[in-house]
Order: sequence, then structure tokens, then C-alpha cells
Amino acid sequence: MTISLLQYMLIPLFSALLIPFVARRRGRLAEIFATVTLLAGLINIGWTLLNPAVLASGFSALGEDGFSLLMIFTIYLVGLCVAFFSASYGDGRGVNTAYFYPLLLVSVSAMCGAVTSTDFFTLFIFVEVLAVASFALMTSDDTKEGIEGAVKYYLLTFPASAVIMLGLAVMLLSAGTFSFDSIRIIIYSGTSGPALIFSLALMLLGFLVKSGVVPFHVWTPDAYQGSYAPVSAFLAGIVTKISGVYAVVRIAMFLRLFETGAFRLSEVLMFLGMVTIAVGAIAAMKQDDFKRMLAFSSISQTGYIVLAAGLATPLAFIGAIFHLFNHATFKTVLFLNSASLEKATGTRDMNKLGGMEHAMPWTSWTSVIAMLSTAGVPPLSGFWSKIIIIIALWDAGAVTYAVLALLFSALTLAYFVVMQRRIFFGRKSPAAEAAAEVSPALLAPAVLMSAVIVAAGLLFPYFFSYLAETIASRMVL
Amino acid sequence: MIEYREFLYVAVTLCALAAVMSKNMLTSAISLAAMSVGVALILFDFNAPWAAVFELSVCAGLITVLFISAVSLLRKEEAFFAEDRTRFRLLPLFALIVAIGGWIAGWPFFEALADYARFGARGQSLGSMLWETRRMDLLGQIAILAAGVLVINSVFAVKKAEK
Repeated sequence: MTISLLQYMLIPLFSALLIPFVARRRGRLAEIFATVTLLAGLINIGWTLLNPAVLASGFSALGEDGFSLLMIFTIYLVGLCVAFFSASYGDGRGVNTAYFYPLLLVSVSAMCGAVTSTDFFTLFIFVEVLAVASFALMTSDDTKEGIEGAVKYYLLTFPASAVIMLGLAVMLLSAGTFSFDSIRIIIYSGTSGPALIFSLALMLLGFLVKSGVVPFHVWTPDAYQGSYAPVSAFLAGIVTKISGVYAVVRIAMFLRLFETGAFRLSEVLMFLGMVTIAVGAIAAMKQDDFKRMLAFSSISQTGYIVLAAGLATPLAFIGAIFHLFNHATFKTVLFLNSASLEKATGTRDMNKLGGMEHAMPWTSWTSVIAMLSTAGVPPLSGFWSKIIIIIALWDAGAVTYAVLALLFSALTLAYFVVMQRRIFFGRKSPAAEAAAEVSPALLAPAVLMSAVIVAAGLLFPYFFSYLAETIASRMVL
Repeated sequence: MIEYREFLYVAVTLCALAAVMSKNMLTSAISLAAMSVGVALILFDFNAPWAAVFELSVCAGLITVLFISAVSLLRKEEAFFAEDRTRFRLLPLFALIVAIGGWIAGWPFFEALADYARFGARGQSLGSMLWETRRMDLLGQIAILAAGVLVINSVFAVKKAEK
């Protein structure tokens, strides 16, 4: 990590350590401290990415790794929305704010550490920090479901950590280093043996479990559904994406450098990605619980990223990374809005919800924007990332995968249109009769994220040139 | 006069014995961490800086946090392991016999190790080695310690509220 990026990891960590002392008597101070820390970080990284000099240079003036910078921006954006939402959502019931917000900040710090690390061992350490903090966050409101989800998360992801450690050991034995740059040089030089591919395969396996990719997805719906509502948004939006999917994309960038030997691994990755898209989409259709449906939909969207990472062409990486960003935005909106719906109506059962648009217009319309983006409707951001992935597949000759990805995207669209009608439009249900729109403080994060979804779709050329200039041309070509 | 290296051998042995023999699991975890620190210093002294750095960061850092987190989740009465530990009382005697045997029979081996140590002494200090090569890991250790402390406190807070 370069020194300039260290601040994004260190400042939330210091804030996290400070909060339990300053907010011991006044819980509100914890919320203020956390929100201000994350807002300051977001403004800082926003300025780094979008200052006039950088825009004028077509992003070539950015010296840092573009993938890391975009991920830091996403982490702070989701973290801020979740912290701001939690401040009004919990009303102090059952959640110890003096420890909830520090754990949130430690998670942000760990994620920034993970995305800016330049070697596999450091990446692993920060992923483990994230796992410890996530476990506690899931049980924040001390409900049975939350504890069950957290235990499942632990039982499945800790063997994954053991596999990653084994991979690290094999890597150190075969390559003598963990550094990304050194590994890249070793692969380029052609001196790497099958042991290095084996070490990457072990790590890939571990990170696929942590990503919740099919067939390792059993912990994901329970963890998302059972967790404290704002934590579900945090987990689905960014935590599992950084602790698993980000690492999978990073490793895939190494796999494509091998002349021979690693292509089977890439093929397995593509196959798992496709199966994940299918299983997630089909399972989502069968759910009645809104949050559980979103959890399966999140699994399905993760499949697109893994599929593109397996393809490992420059265009596929652009699509995968853009979809990673988009997924964070639309899933955060949907999970936060599911919490608002539950707060207003007392239920998450989609059979009992109907005509919510009359009672909760802001919640409904921001949800509709996020759903349409998830389903890949133009000109929203989700459309562009999906179309890039499909074009990349077609371009590389993976026609079957391209057609299947397109079909499941259409299936997602059809299902989301039906579901929108079922929940938000049509005749008012008794739940909608009794409900009223939630407070502006709860709406603000969803509105902000929806604005980001629309802006990222409309300003897609800028996004594309950012991804092409700072990621594809520097890291892949 | 006991030299630095001999002091480390003795300290590591004593910490290992304390880790095995202690009835309190927290004391065991801390003794194990102290032993790992000692082993890391010995490894560094014998010109194995990478092994030392990983021993320190993984065994003394990460593993200890996990052990202490697990122990803190136990109730006070469960933290004392209620098994018959009479057989462990022979461990110090066994360790003493091994130490005397090693002192007599293994002296050339220790001399050979000392050569490595003299070679190792030409390198950087452990502190600068850690900071220069594994800075991010150290920060990761701090983050995991912070997470561990926060997790323990949040779980205890729930328990207090339940009482």
C-alpha cells in the first residue's frame, strides 16, 4: 500500500478506538463520530477521483491503482449510508451504539486495508479482521436469527480461511513471496511451476466460499436475512464483495497471465459463475420473504462478476469491476428499503405487502430504480455493466455463456417487474393502509444511492474511460 | 552470567510449561503468546527473519486474539478446566531432564546455531525488519486486536444487560 492510501485505513480505525471512550455516556456521539469520519473519507476519496485535473487528463493523472481507489470510494459510500441509516433506524433498541459504530468503522478500515494491500498475506489478514467484525455486527440486535446467521457464517468461512492459509503456505514454498508484483514477474518469466497454480487454486477456493458462490452459498441467505437490518445492507452491499469477490477478481487477474495450465481454473470459475447466476435467480423467484429474495438475487448478481472474472479479458474485467460497484449501490438501496418497509409495516412477507407506493412513495420509487438497475434496464448503471460482460463473453467466443447470461438477465427483469407490481403497485394491502412513509433521515441514504445509480448510468462514458485507463490498460494489458 | 539467547531458551520453556499446566485458560492463552514472542526472537537471532515475523504476527498476534476472544465468551467457572491434571506435574521434571541432556549432548549443535546467530546479527533489527517489510500486517494486527476487544465488549454488554 502506498502511504497516500494508508489514511483511508487508519482514520476509521482511530475513530473506532476513540468512540467507546467518548460515547460511553452519550450514545448519540458514537453516531455523529462514525458518520463524520465516513463523510470526510468519502469527500476526500471523491475529490481524489474526480478533481478537475484528473478529469481533464482523462484519469491518466491518477497515480494509484484504479481498482483500489474505486473500491475505497464504494466502501465509504456504503459505510456512510449504513451508518446514517442506523442512526435513525435503531432508536437505541437492543443495539449498543458504543460498540456497533466502532465495529462498523473497523470493518471499513479492514476493507480499505484489503483493497489496498499489495500482497496475498496482507489481503488475508484484513479479510480475517473483516470476518471477526462482521460476526459481531450480525448479532448486533441479539436476535436468534442473527446469531444463527453469524454461526453459519463462521462455520463455513473459517474452513475457507484454513484453505486460504494452506494456499499461502504453498505459495511461499513455491514462489518465495506473497507480493503481487513479484508473483506477476515470476509468471511472466515462465519459471512458475504447477505448485504456484495450485496455491492460487486453493486461495481461489477459499475466497469463493467467502463470496457465497454456488455451491458454497448456504450461509449467505441466512446471514443476510437474520442480521440486524442495516447490517444486512452492509454485508450484502460491500462486506462479502470485498472479503470474497474482490479477491476472486484479483486472483483471476493472475490466472490470465499463465501461458498454459491455468485455463482450466478459469473455465471452472466461469462455470461456477454461470451456475451461481442461474441458482440465485431461480431461488429468488421462490421466496416470499423480501429480504431473503434480495439475498438470493445478490448471489445471482455475484455470479455475473465471477463469470466475467473467469473470462479474464480486459473488457470482462471492466464489466466485472463496474458490476461490483453497481451491485454495491443497488443492493444497499434494496436492503435499506426492505428495512424501512419492515419498520413501517411490521412484515417482510411479500404476500402481505401490496400498493406500498401509495403509502411510501419515496421508499417505493427508490426501490424501483434499484430493481430496474439490478435487472439491467437502460440507461441505469446495471445495464451497462451487464451488457459489457455479455459483449466480452461474445467477443471471446463464449457464445453459450453470453446467451445464458442474457437469458437469465431477462428472467431477472421479468421477475422484478412482477415483484414490483406485487409489492409497490396495485391495490392497497392492509399493511399499506396502516403504513406511513419513514423519516427523511431513513430515506436520505436510499435517495443518495439511487442518485448514484442514475448518475453512473447516464455518465457511463466517464466510468468506462476511468476503468479502461486506470485498470484495464495498467493491470491487464 | 546468563546470555540473551540462553535467557530466551529458558523463558520459552517456562512459558510453554505455563501454557500447558495453567488451570486458567486465559493464562494459558497469554503464556502461549509469550512463548511465541520468545520463539520469534530466537528465530530472528538465528537469521530467520521471515519465520520470526510470521511467528510474531500469526502465532503471537492473530491466534492469541482468537484464543482470548473464545475464552472471554466462556463463563468464569467454565474457564477453569476441570480435568485431572496430576500427570502434568511431571512436565517440569521432564523438561529439566531434556534441558540437562541437551546441555551435555547437544552442545556442538548449539555452537553451530550460534554461528548462524552471529551471521544473523549483521542484519536489521527485528523492529525495523517488521516495519520495513510487514508494515501493513502490523496495522492489520492492530485492527484485529481492536475488533477482538470490541467484539468481547459488545458480547459482555449483552450478557450484563441479560443479568
